[in-house]
Amino acid sequence: MKSAIYLLSIAVLALGLYSYEVRKDNEHLEQTIQAQYTNSLTNASEKLSTLQQSVSQSLLFQDEVALDNELDNIWRISNEFRSTISSLPLSREVSNEWLRYVGNIGEEAKFAADNGDYESWHKRMTVVNQNLQALADEWTVATANFYQNDASISEWASVAEKESDESPFKTVSSNLKSYGETDFPLTASESDWIKKNELQKLNEKEITKEQAIEKLELLVPDIKDASYTVTQSKKDAPYPFYHIQFVKGNRVGYADITVKGGNILSFLSERPVQEKTGVTQQEIRDSVTKLLKNAGYNDLQLVEMRENHQAWHMSLARVVGEDKALVYPDGIQVKISKDSGELLGLNAMEYVQKEEIKEDQKTVPVDWKAFFRPGTQVEEEQLIYTENEAFQLRKCYQVIARFDNDLNETFRVVVDTENHDVLKVEYMN
Amino acid sequence: MVRSIFMSVILIFGTLAVIKPNEPLAFSGQVIERGAFGDDVIELQARLQYLGFYKGKIDGIFGYGTYWALRNFQEKYGLGVDGVAGAKTKNKLAGISDYDSEWVHQQINKGNRFTYYGGIPLAQQTSAGAGSSESSDVQLPVKYSERDLQLMANAVYGESRGEPYEGQVAVAAVILNRLESPDFPNTISEIIFQPGAFTAVADGQIWLTPNARAKEAVLDAMNGWDPSENALYYFNPKTATSKWIWSRQQIKQIGEHIFCY
Repeated sequence: MKSAIYLLSIAVLALGLYSYEVRKDNEHLEQTIQAQYTNSLTNASEKLSTLQQSVSQSLLFQDEVALDNELDNIWRISNEFRSTISSLPLSREVSNEWLRYVGNIGEEAKFAADNGDYESWHKRMTVVNQNLQALADEWTVATANFYQNDASISEWASVAEKESDESPFKTVSSNLKSYGETDFPLTASESDWIKKNELQKLNEKEITKEQAIEKLELLVPDIKDASYTVTQSKKDAPYPFYHIQFVKGNRVGYADITVKGGNILSFLSERPVQEKTGVTQQEIRDSVTKLLKNAGYNDLQLVEMRENHQAWHMSLARVVGEDKALVYPDGIQVKISKDSGELLGLNAMEYVQKEEIKEDQKTVPVDWKAFFRPGTQVEEEQLIYTENEAFQLRKCYQVIARFDNDLNETFRVVVDTENHDVLKVEYMN
Repeated sequence: MVRSIFMSVILIFGTLAVIKPNEPLAFSGQVIERGAFGDDVIELQARLQYLGFYKGKIDGIFGYGTYWALRNFQEKYGLGVDGVAGAKTKNKLAGISDYDSEWVHQQINKGNRFTYYGGIPLAQQTSAGAGSSESSDVQLPVKYSERDLQLMANAVYGESRGEPYEGQVAVAAVILNRLESPDFPNTISEIIFQPGAFTAVADGQIWLTPNARAKEAVLDAMNGWDPSENALYYFNPKTATSKWIWSRQQIKQIGEHIFCY
């Protein structure tokens, strides 16, 4: 009996010690996290205040150098604020609204500096400056609790979970939303871009489920007579489509096909693939060309192909006009198995709604020798269409340029054909 | 007589095979060109480096660095200059360079930094690296890094390993859609680790080692596939309690997840 009591006491003592240690560890962990969150909150508050001051200061200057300096600051601070705010455990709604509003200020600053459109900046920022001041004040009120002596990690934990009407950030959130809508209404180009994403312009004839399956089997004869499950997109989806899931032997996959017109948005099939291959790169290329022609894609040109362990991924772009310019936003991606050259995937979402090509853009030649530094070789030049930052489709020169040195570092440079703005520079591995 | 000559020839070849059992054959039968990936490209890069034409990393990816080096080689040796390693080019390369496949692969697997220039002892061509393979495991579109792939594969595996392949690609696509959206941070890492954004981060499942299927799903999403049809969110209707997530515009359901804007 005595020994049992003795052993029990030891066990209780050990358990007590263990739970004390665990609790201490947890407390330490909570304090560390709370310190980090408080630090981020302080950073965010300071950056918000600096941003508001910078926006205010930008309204002081007409001098281009002074204003450019301030615009550069605003762009940088807005990025830093976005990064800090996204590291805080705020509710999704509050976080999204902040990121969008401050991101818009940064983008406007960059756009104004790039295009010298200072008048429009001054006009718009007069209101934004006042709104930002109001938001900074509301933010100070909303975050005051987090600095109190009895603040704990549970305060933070509850913020993300609280519904918006109970949240301390309720006012900030609703004001951000309304200021966002009035201060940064969508431009025509942004609106077009969203419409494109939503494929709302599709006005072809509706097809049935059976016709959708026929369409898929025409593209991928290998899955003919597979076992299909067809559902339709949710009623809120911006464009209706059939979601076809199939199983045939060891192939399992899906295809999304628009109800209007039966356009294939994407198709993907999964099956075991052998890594070793007897199919050459040229054979893969030829089979893709043939396959796409059979499926009615007649205006595409191969842009890039990348081999990996199981498959080749290939990108193609639509070709337009006499100068055979490539329309990158009207691209198609294809996935081909390495072992047999079978089509494993097709993504034609962007191709379905083709871009409208405006023929009025001038093509002003560029003297590449003056454009690039000495020692840079222009290896390839091709006309392409791509979107600029304002989502406008622009005709551009695409140049593959190389440093003529031991490493042969190579770049893809995209230059607007009319105003010679550099839209993109990519380091090519 | 004929029989004994025949036997002698077989014996000689057999002996040679025993004496040099690991002598590698030069290249496979494949024509190698830009976009290719794998052992043939490693050999091509090593041989070009042996001859002083290629100064880049031997990583098995036939990119522009390898392309220009190959063109320079073809020009120097009077071959057709097309940047494609066909039979003639490969024969020429194999004829005038050495290639120690075992040594090169060993260095790659150890993650050592190394060169492969002719005329220098192998021991002097290497220095200790990360200790694990530095060779590229995959070829990605130019805007993504291998770190992005790794992080996303962890997130996809932690979030959706029980889902169909399509559902895994869709989860990866949601992360990439957020990258394009002004409502979300600007980097893949910030998107994944945004507090409360992904359950797998909150419960630690993101630290599970992702399988090849999750990596392939991320690779497909990076190459443009988006089974979510432009979704920015997804949730499990059986477990979701937030009113806010239910208020989002729904697009489609894949497995256990509803995808929405």
